[in-house]
Order: sequence, then C-alpha cells, then structure tokens
Amino acid sequence: MNLPIYLPLGLGALLFGMGLWGALTRTNAVRILMFIEIMLNGVNLNLITFSRYYYQTNPEMATRAPIMTLFIMTVAAAEASVGLALILNVVRNRGVVDVDKVNLLKG
Amino acid sequence: MTMELLTSGEFIIFALLSIVALVSTYQMVAVRLITHAALFMTLTFTAVAGVFLLLQAEFVAGLQVLIYSGAITTMVIFAIMLSGLKDIKMEAGAKGRGWSKSNPLLMVVGLIFATFMCYLYAAANLPKATEATALAKVKDIGFSLFSTYVIPFEVASILLLIAMVGAIILTAKEAE
Repeated sequence: MNLPIYLPLGLGALLFGMGLWGALTRTNAVRILMFIEIMLNGVNLNLITFSRYYYQTNPEMATRAPIMTLFIMTVAAAEASVGLALILNVVRNRGVVDVDKVNLLKG
Repeated sequence: MTMELLTSGEFIIFALLSIVALVSTYQMVAVRLITHAALFMTLTFTAVAGVFLLLQAEFVAGLQVLIYSGAITTMVIFAIMLSGLKDIKMEAGAKGRGWSKSNPLLMVVGLIFATFMCYLYAAANLPKATEATALAKVKDIGFSLFSTYVIPFEVASILLLIAMVGAIILTAKEAE
C-alpha cells in the first residue's frame, strides 16, 4: 500500500464529522437517521483501513475486521428500520416530522 | 507528499472517490428535498464502497452496496413516499427550515472533531503498512463466521428478527 494511512483515516473522520454536523443542525427526523448511517459508515471505513494496513498477516486476523463490519451493518439496519417505524408512528399520531416540534415531554 | 504518490493511480482514484463522498455528504445537508438527500446518501455509500475496494476488502464493498446503497436507501425512500405528510418530503422555507445563519457555525463541531482526529493520527506516528500476506477471502470469512463467531452471528440474526417484529408492531394499524 503506497497510500499513506492518514488519507483513508482522515476520510473516515471527515465523514463522521460531517454526519455529526448534519445530525445536529437539521431538524427533519428522517434526515437525522440518514446522517447517523453516514457516521456509522465512517467508523466502518476506519476499521477496514486499520485491518488492511496492519492485520493482514494471517487469514485468521484478516477476517476479523470484515466480520466486525458485518455486525455494525446489522445493527445499523436494525436501527434504521425501528427508527423509521417510530418516525412513521409520530407522523401518523402527531402530524409532524420536525424533531423540534415533538416536545410533549418538555417541561 | 511526494510527486510519485500524487501521480499514482491509487491516490488519484482515492482522491476522486473521497471528493464524491464528501461533496455528496455536504449536499445531503444543503439540499431541500428529503428524497434528494436520500439519493445523495446512496452516492456517498457507493463512493465509500469504492474506497473499500481500493483497500482490498471486496466482501465489505459488496455488503456496503447490498445493505447500505440497496436496502437502507430503499427503506428510507419508502418511508418518505408512504407517509402523506408534505413536511416529510420537503422542508418548508426558501432554503429549508433549520437552515439558518447558525448552521455554518455548527459545522465547526464536526470540523473540530475531524481536525482533532487527523491531528491524533498524525501525532501517533503510525508505522508503515505491513506486507499483506493474507487477504481476507470470502471463503475464510464465511468459515470463521460459522465456526469462531457463530454465537455473535446468531445473536445478530435474532436482533434483526426482533427489529423486524418491532417495526411491524410500530407501523401496523391497530385492528379494530
């Protein structure tokens, strides 16, 4: 690998940072869910980068990062499905999708 | 960075893919229609899948395209289309609600995080890449998934089942 390790790691950090920015600034609930997916993707990129650069010396070590990534993707898919179901429920019951307007618990 | 690196195919492909990924992530924040944001999200995921291919993780690249670009995008777009609310499709106002003057300020939160991480990576003085003698073959991954990691694998499938049941219960209309 001639590519310095900082470049993919930096891309992962930037994706995470931009996802954080979007999740904090936008108020549409569906959009916030999408940014959470972007952040998880940045994490996956870091995992795969470290695995590619340092842990591909024997097959047992090399398979760990893809399996970890598979589990992260599983959790992301589960989170997205339940999150979208919750959002659809809120939309149906209260007629808003803006997270600033869902403030029943606000004192 | 030397000239040799800057002109190598690896670097050029990586630069193109990361520009696509970052610009479409920015567009996800800036664009007004949620459907367009979902499509930009797909573009980001596909570009990251390209980076995975560049890192020789073809199994993860395939998973990325199947799960993220395929399944999650379809689910998000279905959720947007199925709800009749106008608000969910388009944020009101000229540039969208919540897109105010404070937003570029809040961008600093993300950028500070990214800068801090890049500083950490640079300061850690990471060693050069070791020689890749064993790439993760799909056969090996499948074998260890069903031998060493069989319990986490089954727990993950139970998690997916529970998530599916939960989603159905949450969205199904109550039978009168």
